Amino acid sequence: MWRALSRDGVAGLVCLAVSLWLLLLTRGLPPAIMVPIGPAFYPRLVLSFMALLSVILIGLDLAAARRRAATAVAAPPAAETRPNYPLVLATFIVFGLYVAALPALGFRIATFLFVGALQVTLDRPRSWQRWLLVVSVAAAVTVICQLTFEDYLSVLLPRGRWSGL
Amino acid sequence: MSHYELLLVHIGTVLHLQYLVPLVAGTIAGVIGGALPGVTITMTVIMVLPFTFGLDPLQGLAAMIGVYVGGSAGGSITASLIGIPGTPSAVATTFDGFPMTRNGEPGRAVWVGVFAAFLGGALGGIFLIELTTPLASLALKFGPWEFFSLFVFALSMVAGLVGKSVTKGLLSGAIGLVITVVGPDPILGTQRLTMGLNFLEGGFPFLPVLIGLFAFAQLMPDVEQIGRGGTTDIRAPKAMKLKVSLRQVLWEILSRPFLLVWSTLVGVLIGVLPAIGGSAANIMAYDQAKKFSRRPEKFGTGIPEGIIASESSNNANVAGSLIMIMAFGIPGDAVTAVMMGALTIHGIQPGPLFISQHPKIAYGIFASYLIALPLMVLVIWIGSRAWLHVITMPKSIMIPIVLVLCVIGAYALGNSMNDVYVLLLFCAIGYAMVKARIPLAPLILGVVLGDQIESNMIRAVASDPDPWLFLTRPISGGLIAASVLSVLFALWQHRREGQRLAEADGDEPDTDF
Repeated sequence: MWRALSRDGVAGLVCLAVSLWLLLLTRGLPPAIMVPIGPAFYPRLVLSFMALLSVILIGLDLAAARRRAATAVAAPPAAETRPNYPLVLATFIVFGLYVAALPALGFRIATFLFVGALQVTLDRPRSWQRWLLVVSVAAAVTVICQLTFEDYLSVLLPRGRWSGL
Repeated sequence: MSHYELLLVHIGTVLHLQYLVPLVAGTIAGVIGGALPGVTITMTVIMVLPFTFGLDPLQGLAAMIGVYVGGSAGGSITASLIGIPGTPSAVATTFDGFPMTRNGEPGRAVWVGVFAAFLGGALGGIFLIELTTPLASLALKFGPWEFFSLFVFALSMVAGLVGKSVTKGLLSGAIGLVITVVGPDPILGTQRLTMGLNFLEGGFPFLPVLIGLFAFAQLMPDVEQIGRGGTTDIRAPKAMKLKVSLRQVLWEILSRPFLLVWSTLVGVLIGVLPAIGGSAANIMAYDQAKKFSRRPEKFGTGIPEGIIASESSNNANVAGSLIMIMAFGIPGDAVTAVMMGALTIHGIQPGPLFISQHPKIAYGIFASYLIALPLMVLVIWIGSRAWLHVITMPKSIMIPIVLVLCVIGAYALGNSMNDVYVLLLFCAIGYAMVKARIPLAPLILGVVLGDQIESNMIRAVASDPDPWLFLTRPISGGLIAASVLSVLFALWQHRREGQRLAEADGDEPDTDF
C-alpha cells in the first residue's frame, strides 16, 4: 500500500510524523497557572490540526493511487525532462559549506570562496576569460558587500575565528 | 493638521535626499528585479532588506516601497518584450504585450504597460490614503475575540484560495502556526518544543524563516533546469526600438476609463485579501476585461486593453496590500510580510494603532508610495535600454549574489550565526515544500499571525472563559462563519474545476481537494 504513495502521501507522512513527535514533546509542559489555558493548550491544538490534515492528505493520496493504477496502463507517462537534481544537491552542499565556514573563516574569505565555487558549480568555465570573470565577480561581491554593509551602513558581518577577518 | 496637510508635509519630507535616495535606489532595484525572470519582487525585497538595517525606519520602508512599486511595473518589461513575465504578477501582460511586440510595436507594448501601472497605482493610492484610517478606526473597536477570528479568517481564506489543493493550503498554514509555538509561550515565557537546543529558546525569528523559505524555493527551480535544456541567461532584444509617442500611449489608456477604474478596483480588492497578491490580481483583471469587452475575440492578439487591465490591477494591488498591513497588521502578500518584519526590528508593530502612534512613518509610507509611482516611470524611461542588458545577467552569477545577500539579511538581524542556521534549515524546508507542491503563502501568513492568534485567544479566554463568545459576538461570529464559508467555497471551486477538466480532456479529475 505504501509503495503507491505519491509525493503528496510522502509529504503527509512526514508532516504526520513531525506533528505526532511534537505532540509527544508537549506532554512535559507545565499546567495552567494564571490563565484558564496553559502553555501546552495552543501547541496541542495546532499540532492536532496539522496531524489531522496530514492524515487527510495521506488518505486522499491513497484513494488517488487506485485511480492512478487504473489509468496507468491506458495512458503511458509522457516523456519529460528530468530536473537536474545533482546540481541542486551540489548547490545545497556548497551553500551549507559556506554557512559552516562563515564563523571560522569570516565573511570576506568565506564569501569570496563561496561566490567563486558556486559559479563554477553552476556553469563550469571553459576558457581562461571565464575563469577570470569568476574570480572577478567573487572579489567584487566580497569587496562591495564589505564596503556597503560594514563601512557605509554599519551592519556587522561575521568575523572568522581562525582568520580574524 | 488635516489628513491632506499631513500628507503634503510628508511628501515634502520624503523629497529630501535622506529619503529620496533610498526610494530611488529601491525603485531601480525593483525595476531590475521585477524585469529579471526568475527573480520575484519578494526575492528583490529580501535582497534589499539587509541594506535597510543601517537606515532609519522610514528610509528603509521608502526603499522597500520603491522595490514594490518598481518591481510591479518592471515585470511588464520582459513580459512584453520577450514573452517571459519578470514576476508572476505580470503573467497576464504577456498575453497581449508579447503579441504586440511581435506585431512590431515593442515601444507601445512597454509604455502602455508602464503608464497603466502608473495610473492604476495612482488610483489605488487614493484608496490607500482614504481607506486606511477608517479601517484602522474600525479595527480599534475589535476585542481579542474579533482579532482572533479575523486572523483565522485571513489564514483560512489564503489556505483555501492559494494553490491547487485546499488540504495542502490548510496544512501549510498549520505548519506556519506550529513554527510560532517553538520557543517561549506569550504569557509565562515557558519554553516549548525547543528540544533542549539553546538557539531555539527565542523561537524561530520571522525574517530568517521567510528569507530561507523563499530563497531556495525560488532559486532552485532555475538550478534544476541548468544543463537540462533550460537556459542560464536571457537574450536581450537588442534590435528593438522602444521609442513611441507617450502622449498617444497615455490617451490610449485614458480613453478607456471604465477598464482602468474596474481593473484598479480588482487590484485593490485582491491586495486587501491577505497573501493572494498581484499574481492573482492581473489574471483576474484580464479575465474581467475580456468578459466586459465588446471584442473579446481580439484578446491575446496584442490589443492595449489586455495590457491595461493586467498592469493597472497589478500596481493597484500594491496599495491594497499596504492598506491591510497598516490598518490590521495583516500582510497582503510576502512583500508586505517582509516590510512588517523590517518594522518590528525597529520596535514598530503595524496594526490599528500604527497610524495614531507612528504618524510620521504612516504618512511617510503614503508619501513614498505616491512619489515612487512617477519615479518608476522615470527610472524605466531613462534606463529602458540599460535594463534590457542587465536582465541578461547569467543565473550562475546571480544566484550566488542573491544567496550572499540572504545570509547577510539573516545574520545582521541579531549579529548571530543562529539566525543563519535557521535560514539554512528553512531553505531546505522551502525547497521540500515546492517539490511537494505545498503553497508557501499560507505558511508565511501562519508564521506572521501565529503569535497574535495565540495571544488574542489567551486574552479572550482570560477576560471571559466562555468559548462560545467567539461565535456569539457578532463580528467574531461573522468572521468565523466567513472562515468556514471560504474553505467550503474553495472546496466547491476545486471540485468544480476538477470536473470541468475531466470533461474537457477525458482526464482523471484532481482527487485532492
